[in-house]
Amino acid sequence: MSTIAPEFRLSRFIASLTDIIFWVLLIFSLVGLPLVFILLFYIKLPIVNGQLLTPYLAMTWMADPSRTIPIIKSLIHTEFFRIIAFPGFGFAALLAAATIFVERKFLAKIQLRVGPLYCGKIEGILQLMGDGLKLISKEIIIPAKADKPIFWVAPLLFVGTAAAFASLIPVAPGWVVSNPNVGLLVVFATIGFFPIIVVLSSWSANSKWTFIGGIRALHQMISFEIPLILSLLGIVILTGTLNLTEIVESQQHYWWIVFMPIGAIVFFITILAELERIPFDLPEAESEIVAGWLTEFSGMMYGLIQLGTYLKLYAFAGLFTVLFLGGWNGPMVWPPFPQEIITNGITIGPITAHIPGLPLFDQDMLNGTLWFVIKTVGVILVILLPRGVFPRIRIDLLLYTGWYKLIGLAFINIFIALGLLYAGVLGHGGLIQ
Amino acid sequence: MTTQLPPGIQLETVDDRIMTLNVGPQHPGSGHMRLIIKVDGDYIVSCDPDPGYVHRGEEKMAEYRNYIQNIPHLERPVIHDSCNILYPYCLAVEDLLGIEVPERAKYIRVIASELNRCVYTLYWLAIYGIFLGHSTMFMWPAGDRELFIDLLEAMSGARVTHAYLVPGGVRNDLPANFEERCLRQVDYFEKRIKEYQAIFYQNPVLRQRTEGTGILSRMDAIRLGTTGSVLRASGVDFDLRKKEPYDVYENLDFETQVLKEGDSYARSLIPYLEMFESCRIIKDALRKMPKSGSVRTKLKPNPKGGNDEAYRRVESGRGSLGFHIISNNRPEPYRVKISVGSFRNLICIPYLLKGEKLGNMPSVYWSLNYWPVEADR
Amino acid sequence: MDSKKKVDKESSETNIDATELENDQNNESNNDSTKLTKEEAKKFYEEKGIDLSHDVPIRSQPIPPFEKSMADKIVSKFGQKVVINYVRPNRIRVNTKREDILDVAYFIRDELKFDHAESVGGVDYPDSKEIEVVYHLGSYTDEQLGNKILALATRVPREDIPNPGKDSTRTPSLRDVFYSVEFHERECFEMFGVFFEGHPDNRRLLLPEDWADIPPFRKDFKIKGR
Repeated sequence: MSTIAPEFRLSRFIASLTDIIFWVLLIFSLVGLPLVFILLFYIKLPIVNGQLLTPYLAMTWMADPSRTIPIIKSLIHTEFFRIIAFPGFGFAALLAAATIFVERKFLAKIQLRVGPLYCGKIEGILQLMGDGLKLISKEIIIPAKADKPIFWVAPLLFVGTAAAFASLIPVAPGWVVSNPNVGLLVVFATIGFFPIIVVLSSWSANSKWTFIGGIRALHQMISFEIPLILSLLGIVILTGTLNLTEIVESQQHYWWIVFMPIGAIVFFITILAELERIPFDLPEAESEIVAGWLTEFSGMMYGLIQLGTYLKLYAFAGLFTVLFLGGWNGPMVWPPFPQEIITNGITIGPITAHIPGLPLFDQDMLNGTLWFVIKTVGVILVILLPRGVFPRIRIDLLLYTGWYKLIGLAFINIFIALGLLYAGVLGHGGLIQ
Repeated sequence: MTTQLPPGIQLETVDDRIMTLNVGPQHPGSGHMRLIIKVDGDYIVSCDPDPGYVHRGEEKMAEYRNYIQNIPHLERPVIHDSCNILYPYCLAVEDLLGIEVPERAKYIRVIASELNRCVYTLYWLAIYGIFLGHSTMFMWPAGDRELFIDLLEAMSGARVTHAYLVPGGVRNDLPANFEERCLRQVDYFEKRIKEYQAIFYQNPVLRQRTEGTGILSRMDAIRLGTTGSVLRASGVDFDLRKKEPYDVYENLDFETQVLKEGDSYARSLIPYLEMFESCRIIKDALRKMPKSGSVRTKLKPNPKGGNDEAYRRVESGRGSLGFHIISNNRPEPYRVKISVGSFRNLICIPYLLKGEKLGNMPSVYWSLNYWPVEADR
Repeated sequence: MDSKKKVDKESSETNIDATELENDQNNESNNDSTKLTKEEAKKFYEEKGIDLSHDVPIRSQPIPPFEKSMADKIVSKFGQKVVINYVRPNRIRVNTKREDILDVAYFIRDELKFDHAESVGGVDYPDSKEIEVVYHLGSYTDEQLGNKILALATRVPREDIPNPGKDSTRTPSLRDVFYSVEFHERECFEMFGVFFEGHPDNRRLLLPEDWADIPPFRKDFKIKGR
């Protein structure tokens, strides 16, 4: 006695599929294509080989292998690519996804488990995709008495702010989405948005647990933002700049962690608190306040919050690398692009193909990215480690740590930096350059 | 005139300062019960426990089944400690029916109940770990539990609900080579639980968080009638295995663990220290056990107790566990009253949580060694 | 009732007669289509190798002196008001009227050094229209009393149509004497309908708030299908 689709007919099912395909094609050709052309009208098109790259030219040149590389290269250097793909959202999201997988396996090894194992055959590599599909397919439940517009927009704001934060991190020489002169100030300003979003979302959900969680998050983030800012002032004093790229360039010979280990430790602890990671996961403490400010989120809204959290994790780890671990600086280990391919072309059997436009990326950029990724992943692993070791801290101990210990240590760090500056060891005209 | 409410129901009064929180029964930090907590800021001003979500009427059910049929369902209130909850039942029924238990069976009972005590303590410790946000402390005890579960499975044939102790002895004899295997696993187990100290009990964050919270003084512990680890953590040296030794506990070599602090940390440390004592008892019992002999005095079918009553108690994983059985010449008991440690410790929850911070709620609540299913019976 | 009388015996002697095997309708082995006689049954069990030797009455135990002295103290203080049901090793049972239970409880706490209650259980006797409330008292402070349990029992009238809290099924609460009885008495109230006068918090504990039946542990509350 089947109750699901009692009058199922295969022919009708196929007919409905063809119907859907027809309507999709019709709507795309009537609405989609004109929209694409209207968009292209406003986008500044690049000039490749002396010709303006119109969409029609792009289509024909894509078929010509000798002109594919220049087109791709020109696309890579557009702002659009930077925001969407490489130093921006795509790269950060990829690293964030890898972080989630690594965290699960890493934590499982600490706890004598195996972690995700079956999904994707090889060590559960596709587990994350499965979880994402599950979250997408889940129903989004909005509490009846919630303030709906704010509740809807909070996850988007969270991801957007996290992505904005990630876009400030320079990955390789010249490879950064936005490079303002006061980069560090912009970082502080972006971090300052998170407590506001958290409080808005928790209040709009109109639940006691989210409210307590939001208040806790507010306390925690505000009390740890002050030591966070103070711990970075030492670097600003010594480098004399707020620009993140210039800070990286100042670390060609030595890293700032060598001279300011106290600042690095303070900054690391504040990272843990800002990210709400164990032992500072009070806003989401599940045994006390269910899930804290995330209690009422369901389905993909929760998924977006998680994505934002891991983007934030990447951005903070990247910031730590940039400020204390020398960013992209490191010995040249990436092999240079073979010269004979540029001069002689690739010989496959009887055919010799000359490909203009190679190499796609220069050696500095690839080497810098490699070092940046290695250092960032190392920092991320150290951020993940306390989860397997520590229990959750209590709110009064947390505030005590933030307001008394960390601020004091941050001031000691500033005094060390000032001492090094006025003793003439570091800084402009110092002994070590 | 306000409308008359049935007993138990209270209307929530809305206050602009006091917020009422329903911790449970769907809350991850409550177990199968509800704590109605009123908070003023971060401080708990009153707490009203509301158990009964898993009340199954075990005492009523026992009146409809005979003494043998009662065995499997009476262990259901706390399946992780099933040997210890059946122990006083068997002792009381033996008193009523006048049965002598063979010497070997007494030792096997002790071994089974001590193994089961470790299994329960590890389960409790795992939940204590996750209540404090320590996920490694959830996984490690849950994994190490398997060692003794395997041993108990070899003894009784079931992994959790053993129904191994029966009036008159134990259900079946030990399997071949059990003693070597048991000694080997107990040795490994002792080595393993020593590692918990480094990651959990000496963890600075944990000590900061639990030391000095939820302090129960010695006089209050006695006045409130607490039992088990809660009592011993408050400095009262009371262990029924020493005070009222049943079966062969008087022949065995072990000590009672007592701490004076009476805070959450001491309460969580006592069951952990007692696991070492359990290992000592198991090893000693294996050494002193008669190597062969009967393990069960056969009962006649459908045995009847006289017009009599018996009250026997043992030290379970959560404290004293007593069975009061009244019989009236019928195959079924006339009345079975189960006095469980969890229910006796329930009175501490409102007493200790009042004035604590909300963040201390899970650690204080779960350090009471409270098992909601057992308390509801 | 007869159950009460037999409990009054001082020694724990019980007589389980093997002849009762035959009469017992609930005996599973005898519920077969052919009913066995006594000799056949004995032969049947001997063939099966089942030992029936424990059918002899259990050993009678001597009355222990320490427990006896405590019982004597209570009797010398209260005389006719209390009935000592039995004195056994580590166990004493005292029965008293509900008017006197507070005095007896204060005496037990202050003079005999019992300081907490282990359980408060009710027993329903519908034939004699009474409900018995049994307090099992123990001691932590006195070293000697660690293994002793004193059962203090009282009987309250039982009504056929109960109205918990409003009818005559009530007894003074011992919460002022033993603080630890608080939750036990709440449980006894909801399960048997015994109202404890002077208890500060006579609410439901385990039962659901909307329970509208008679108190479930009374004998006239039947489990369905049994």
